[in-house]
Amino acid sequence: MAHLTEGTLRRMVDDPDSLREDVAHLEGCADCQTLFKSISDDARSVASMLAVPEARVDVTRAYERVRSASAAGPRLGFRLPALMPRSRPMILALAATFVAIAVLAVVAQDFKTNLQPTTVTPVPVTVADMQALSQLSNYGTVTWTKQPNLQVVSSAADAASVAGGMQPPVVTNLPKGVSTNITYAAMPQAVAVFTFSSDKAAAAAAQQGKTLPKMPASMDGAQLTVTVGPAVGEIFGDLQKSSGTGSGTSQLSLPQLIVGKSAAPTATSTQVTVQQMEDVILAQPGISPELKAAIKAIGNPGTALPIPIPVPYATSTTVTVQGVQGVALGDNTGVGSGVIWVKNGVVYAVAGSIKQSDAIDIANNLK
Amino acid sequence: MNLGARRMSNAKADDEAFEALFRTEYARVVGIANRVLADSHEAEDVAQEVFIDFHRLHSASADYAPAWLHRAAAHASLNKLRGARRRYRREVAQATEEGDRTLDPQKQVEVDEERRRVREGLARLAPRPAAVLVLRASGLSYAEVAGALGVGIGQIGTMLRRAEAALRKEVTRGTSD
Repeated sequence: MAHLTEGTLRRMVDDPDSLREDVAHLEGCADCQTLFKSISDDARSVASMLAVPEARVDVTRAYERVRSASAAGPRLGFRLPALMPRSRPMILALAATFVAIAVLAVVAQDFKTNLQPTTVTPVPVTVADMQALSQLSNYGTVTWTKQPNLQVVSSAADAASVAGGMQPPVVTNLPKGVSTNITYAAMPQAVAVFTFSSDKAAAAAAQQGKTLPKMPASMDGAQLTVTVGPAVGEIFGDLQKSSGTGSGTSQLSLPQLIVGKSAAPTATSTQVTVQQMEDVILAQPGISPELKAAIKAIGNPGTALPIPIPVPYATSTTVTVQGVQGVALGDNTGVGSGVIWVKNGVVYAVAGSIKQSDAIDIANNLK
Repeated sequence: MNLGARRMSNAKADDEAFEALFRTEYARVVGIANRVLADSHEAEDVAQEVFIDFHRLHSASADYAPAWLHRAAAHASLNKLRGARRRYRREVAQATEEGDRTLDPQKQVEVDEERRRVREGLARLAPRPAAVLVLRASGLSYAEVAGALGVGIGQIGTMLRRAEAALRKEVTRGTSD
């Protein structure tokens, strides 16, 4: 019999009930015994190297944290297609589309918004940054006076009626290969109010062993009101393909193209200026220095709409779209790209698993 | 039932499935990240990010949910390890605070030093061998490791063997530097 492979020998270290013929060979083979000893030495040594004090977790508390982080960003009214773990490149495409959706949905989390932005600025963010912003509830209360309620509807007319009359954009030159199957999504205006509480903020700071940063006396009870939407969008792709038969987890195909528009978000405040509110919030412990720096770096806070973009996909270029300045993300590989711009108080986004040049072309011809 | 109401009941079932998945898998996902980072606070942060990412994009009742979480936990924490060398200082402080208080100071220094060298070695390994080591060391079976990495179960013995030899070499190299 041939000698045992290293893989087989390694497995025998973990599994005393190995194949009887392998065990028999090992018992009678000095070479394999030598190798086995060296393999099991390595295995034992690595096991002890990787030993760490066990993490004690409070699952219930952790669950509450994750829930509130998920809830702070309004859940999309429809489920994005399931992705198998190995479809990494598709995740990139999805991230690009997520960026577009972020404009419509996640911006509510970003209290940097100001009255009537006229340009967009990408801000690279990590999931931790998003979470940090959603921990705003440590410094006050966040309430939705109008809940974000994204709905999936079957026609452009229905979408317009949900969105208070805002008409979905019309794509006039669809690239070849993009499905003509359109799903419409629409969201009425949503309004979030954040009320700052000095007591809560002091308690949160104390918990981290820090004192509260200096702030205007009138901060306590100051309110920041952020309005997003209404918004409408079109999703190109056979999203509903798996409905009906089959297991509940059967895969849906990825949306190939998402086109959306939304009234530019606005922010107003009481007692203090939006700028003061923002400075205080950014000074709180727990918001990452990177995010802080990125937000600070935005040129004109009165007019630039920050768009959260996951860090790994944050390659962006400035482009001219429909006569105004916009931001293009992604590249020409066709894996994923998007364009975002603001015109006449409306934020537009085009994104999908298409080439960047196609995305810009669609954007320029959007009616 | 109209479309809106059906969506709402789907969403509720989905939330319940997610909570069940969270309760079953959270400790293990933290365990994987902790194995890499040797820092239980950071491990919990990574684990929570992984669950939030999962929840955004996937159905909690998907068959592949645990495998996805395990893989994501390994990769996210390894990425973090590669990215943040400054972390070691905090790790040392925290390990002293939490774990091995029974050790005498001299021994403690040795343990910390060893832990630092192992993490540096782990950060230098290619992503897949590093993930194999971490997942297996976190108590996943061969079948679970294979599921998380999307390879055949028959490959795990060989992958483990190579990764262990590579880590030992990296750590030894770190000592002789």
